[in-house]
Amino acid sequence: MKRRQFFKTTGGISLVAGSGLESLLMNLYAFEEKANLSKVEALYYKKHSDREIECLLCPRYCKLGDKERGYCGVRENMGGTYYTLVYGKACSINVDPIEKKPFFHFLPRTNALSIATAGCNVNCKFCQNWEISQVRPEQVEHYDIPPSKVVDLAKKYSCPSIAYTYTEPVVFYEYMYDTSKEARLKRIKNAVVTGGHINPEPLEELTKVVDAIKIDLKAFTQDFYTSYVRGELQPVLDAIKIVHKSNVWLEIVYLVIPTLNDSQNEIQNLCRWIMNEIGPDVPLHFSRFFPMYLMKNLPHTPLSTLEKAYKIALAEGLHYVYLGNIPSHRAESTYCPSCKNKVIQRIGYQIKKIELKEGKCKFCNNPIPGVWT
Amino acid sequence: MASKVVLIRGKGVLNGDGDIDQKRLLSMYTRGIQALLNQQNPKENLLLLFRRNDKVGIKINTIAGKMLSTRPEVSLSLAKLLSGSGIQEKNIIIWDRTNRELRAAGYHLNIKGSGYAIFGTDTRGVDYNPRLISHLNIGSLFSSIQSDWITSSISLAILKDHGMAGVTAGMKNYFGTIHNPNKYHDFNCDPFVAELFETKLIMRKHKLSILDSLVVQYHRGPSYHARWAEKYEALIFSLDPVAADFVGWQVIEKLRAKKGLPTLKEEDREPTYLKTAEKKGLGKANRNEVKIIEEEA
Repeated sequence: MKRRQFFKTTGGISLVAGSGLESLLMNLYAFEEKANLSKVEALYYKKHSDREIECLLCPRYCKLGDKERGYCGVRENMGGTYYTLVYGKACSINVDPIEKKPFFHFLPRTNALSIATAGCNVNCKFCQNWEISQVRPEQVEHYDIPPSKVVDLAKKYSCPSIAYTYTEPVVFYEYMYDTSKEARLKRIKNAVVTGGHINPEPLEELTKVVDAIKIDLKAFTQDFYTSYVRGELQPVLDAIKIVHKSNVWLEIVYLVIPTLNDSQNEIQNLCRWIMNEIGPDVPLHFSRFFPMYLMKNLPHTPLSTLEKAYKIALAEGLHYVYLGNIPSHRAESTYCPSCKNKVIQRIGYQIKKIELKEGKCKFCNNPIPGVWT
Repeated sequence: MASKVVLIRGKGVLNGDGDIDQKRLLSMYTRGIQALLNQQNPKENLLLLFRRNDKVGIKINTIAGKMLSTRPEVSLSLAKLLSGSGIQEKNIIIWDRTNRELRAAGYHLNIKGSGYAIFGTDTRGVDYNPRLISHLNIGSLFSSIQSDWITSSISLAILKDHGMAGVTAGMKNYFGTIHNPNKYHDFNCDPFVAELFETKLIMRKHKLSILDSLVVQYHRGPSYHARWAEKYEALIFSLDPVAADFVGWQVIEKLRAKKGLPTLKEEDREPTYLKTAEKKGLGKANRNEVKIIEEEA
């Protein structure tokens, strides 16, 4: 359940400007707190003197006194021990096409059981899911659903993968990690959709239990990360390199925002960096921006801007470049870099045709990298 | 014109066990408000700030547990003064973020009973107003208590050292009115404290800052650490929210110096948000323009 729905069910929305205490009290019924949060010790933190702790999960390194929470809002220092409050507390559970994440080279035409808890370790001004990502866990309704139940649900709905998505799975690391381990035992794969704002050690551990990671690279300048993300670029680039070096399938998404991260120069620098550090075979998705959250003052991304980015990436030598949020565009489909034939035809989240045989182009036998089965 | 800040000392207001001498506390309030507003009749004093039909929110701070929160005696004494001035009890609310924290600080919740209302934003049917308020670097949902119910607000904050902000006092206390304060602690909370205060929902309703300085945490805050908590036995009053916090900061620096601790600047956590607030015209944060009146109640 999302926050907006939640307000409707609790009656909070019934308070309007000008109402007084009496009308407020009339709206109250049996007092009840919504908390019911988890208290599972966090995996990555350091204890300091005087009940202080330092979180080691992400590059923020939050230093927290007793009773304080990290930037993510979902981890709390309780008397010198650091706890995650969202273990087994999913606020969103859906069955989505894997293409929605988007993963284009990972189990195409399948569904992923998709889960999220509240919280995020950055604060993107253009967040699509701010109503669950930019809140503390007690501010959203959640389900009690431990890892084993998540896996059961995936099986029940015939999902060959579980996606950790919508908010920022780094902040529910322990929950994601344990669920991934259980899922593997039942031959279900794990796909992570993240901003990549995570420290190397936890990421390296995570790559041992998951199968695919999609990283949202929000821009290719620190200025953008400072102003619009409240995070750092370099740790994200480092995370991309770590995932690439592991056995985990990697895809990259770049949301193109008019005037802020769409210059030819920036796109070119990004593509050159990918070519140099990762190589030509990582899928790169340029997504269309739509105004939302705290960035309603900009228009959606013009198609011409996206097509320009697409051409730059191809010119720089990347093999698998896609345009997202533009249903029916030819750049939603996968083309064999060798014979140029269309090997996967997509329209929106739908797969119309797959022309692959054992991971190779049906027309020229060229291997197309990905996790196909 | 200089901003007036009144610092009232009440030696003995805390007894050996840390309990409050209510009579002494009340006289500290009376003296402080008189000195601040230059009125002799205490009943009329507060009506210079509030209308009789105002709905007054007393925003307290209960995040640090019983030992370092606005004590019930402190907020209830203020509520009593307000109702004594003619504001109806039913139109006075003592509040903070959560009922759990209020209870842990020693409050008995009063949600539907007669008398002053006491409850947190997380009470069912209250919650955060779903309208997202955006102002410069701020993007937040506000407690419906702050946005929809109250017409006037008093920040009755605890004066504390803060590991990130340097100092937490009256202005930062309003972090407790929004749903995402965790997002505003970067860069020593600067410019976030000033920008949040500048939002219409805070600035237009805020009428008075009172810093509960009975016990001041001058180091290792905002958590309670007995080793660095000083029995200071003072209340600080001002109509200028920036000046009140500026004086609170000076108190903390004095206590730190007395104990041989480095200044907040030396620890790279000077409360620069006060200068930012001053630049925005929200109040004064310099010695030349803050007039401190210090008295014993």
